[in-house]
Amino acid sequence: MLLIFISVSFALSKEPAVTAGWLEKNINNPNVVIVDVRKVEEYKAGHIPNSVNVFYGSWAISKGGMRNELPAMDDLFDLIGSSGITPETHVVVVGKTDTPPDKFDMTRVVWTLKYAGVKNVSMLDGGYNKWVAEKKAISTEQVKPKSKTYKGEINKNLIVDKNYVMSRIDKAVLVDVREPDFFQGKKKLDFVAKPGRIKNAVNLPNSLAFNQDSTLKTKEELEKAATSVIGTDRTKEIITYCDTGKTCTAWAIILSDILGYKDVKIYDGSTEEWTKDPAAPWEQ
Amino acid sequence: MDKSILKNDPHFSEGCSSCHKGNNKASRKEDAHKNLVSRPSKDLKTCETCHEDIVKRFKTSLHFTTAGQRHGVMGRFSHNELIKFDKNIFETSCRSCHASCGDCHVRSYPVGGIKLGLIKGHKFIKKDEGRTCALCHGGRVYPEYTGEYGGSADIHYQKGMVCTDCHKKEELHGNGILYKSMKDVKDRPKCSNCHKAGVEDTERSQRPHKIHKEKLTCYACHAGSHYRNCYNCHIGKGAESKPGFYLGINPRDKKTFTTLRVVPTIRDTFKAFNIKMEHFDRLPNYWDSAVHTIKKRTDRTRSCDACHKEKKDYLTEDILIKGGSKANFDLIYKQKSK
Repeated sequence: MLLIFISVSFALSKEPAVTAGWLEKNINNPNVVIVDVRKVEEYKAGHIPNSVNVFYGSWAISKGGMRNELPAMDDLFDLIGSSGITPETHVVVVGKTDTPPDKFDMTRVVWTLKYAGVKNVSMLDGGYNKWVAEKKAISTEQVKPKSKTYKGEINKNLIVDKNYVMSRIDKAVLVDVREPDFFQGKKKLDFVAKPGRIKNAVNLPNSLAFNQDSTLKTKEELEKAATSVIGTDRTKEIITYCDTGKTCTAWAIILSDILGYKDVKIYDGSTEEWTKDPAAPWEQ
Repeated sequence: MDKSILKNDPHFSEGCSSCHKGNNKASRKEDAHKNLVSRPSKDLKTCETCHEDIVKRFKTSLHFTTAGQRHGVMGRFSHNELIKFDKNIFETSCRSCHASCGDCHVRSYPVGGIKLGLIKGHKFIKKDEGRTCALCHGGRVYPEYTGEYGGSADIHYQKGMVCTDCHKKEELHGNGILYKSMKDVKDRPKCSNCHKAGVEDTERSQRPHKIHKEKLTCYACHAGSHYRNCYNCHIGKGAESKPGFYLGINPRDKKTFTTLRVVPTIRDTFKAFNIKMEHFDRLPNYWDSAVHTIKKRTDRTRSCDACHKEKKDYLTEDILIKGGSKANFDLIYKQKSK
């Protein structure tokens, strides 16, 4: 009886990041689906037991010359269903953290699943690397997902387009999550047309959210970083952006799921789209 | 150094010199490296000692003979030009990078400019598509398949399938028969090995498959995104590439409509070797291609109009490469008059 209680209480965890220890205890929990988003070859070489492999490139595609776009909704629902996920499943997303940008594969997939209507989604804090560092069990047995028909309710209020950002440029808090050199226009990526930032944006860099080992900082540290830039009003409309719509999902999740901001959206097009439009307000 | 690699792999049991030769008793580098063999498996006898059966078949495989490269272009040459090509280009250029055993099963390449190190980078691997296949096929097929070239990953990769799930070892290692081209290889992977057309679960899926059977290749509808096309190859300088998507008549089977990929051979590709390709116009610059970007749904499966009204991505005279082969015009689909 006690075991059943423990198992259920673990399954009900709604943390945006779960620890390797938590996941180890829930590997066989029927309400938990562990989704490994690393490349197929990496998954085959070794993965968390019972995890299914759905490569990152399935969740975020290139479309219309833009990186990290959502797949068509019918494709996305097929993907979620074929991964054995229902809206009630607790999904734990596992990715690698070999390089600093790698961890955002996890945050983008967590965000995508939330967008698609999965109610309880977490990432593995520190990713697969943390699991290995803690010497947890590794399997090479490929796990076939229990395919289901997925019918979720899309959370359209988690994403906005360029026109919406333009219409809210003086009203919403635009949060640029890129590092200060990019925010200040000292650096830019090749595919971004010009250096600088969206007019009126504030800077809350991703590096303030993560420790060296790609685990999330404490709630207190996150709160201190966020409130010093955004303020303490939890009802403000917040729009995060980056260069492609991928890394801005990290602060979006932290702000809404850890710090309790009620209205957090991402601008998926980010600077890749914004800087191509000469009419889009911009500052350096 | 991870000594377990040396301990656990019998390939290392006889020491480096068993394959690489040189002098393992010498104390000076110059002496030790005298007669060193850098790519031991280039001489298949090195591996044949233990892997006799595989090596025997591998000698006939297209990976080893690279006959496909010769076959693909030889139709453009006169008899004398072919002799010149074989002597001055094929044997010295194409054949010089034929796959030896070690190219797939030992050699590692730098990742992000970082080499894995002498021992770790020398680890013998049975199978690891990211290395065994992507090392050579990393320009086109592999990044297209994994979605890294743009678009999205092939549905088979999304489902966890890697190269050898379709391309079996008999195909990769050869089956004892000398083939001219991979198109001639028996038992090549076919979509229909797993997906029988016309027996789908719903009428909505069955109908288009029945209607288009033997008129379209699977790729014509299910190739999901742009793929790499190479242009303007000149011996010694290489080619340039850009993404593209072309639908046209299959040059190998004029009854079918399929995805075409540009091959980079142009009129003066071999100019430096004084080969002008007397029969250049016999072969097109676009060839049918098994594009590895398969999706269940594409623009063409979602809407009949994509092909039947808009002719989206159809090869047209306007987009044919300039100064290309006259045979290219035969690949343009012409609407049948009613």
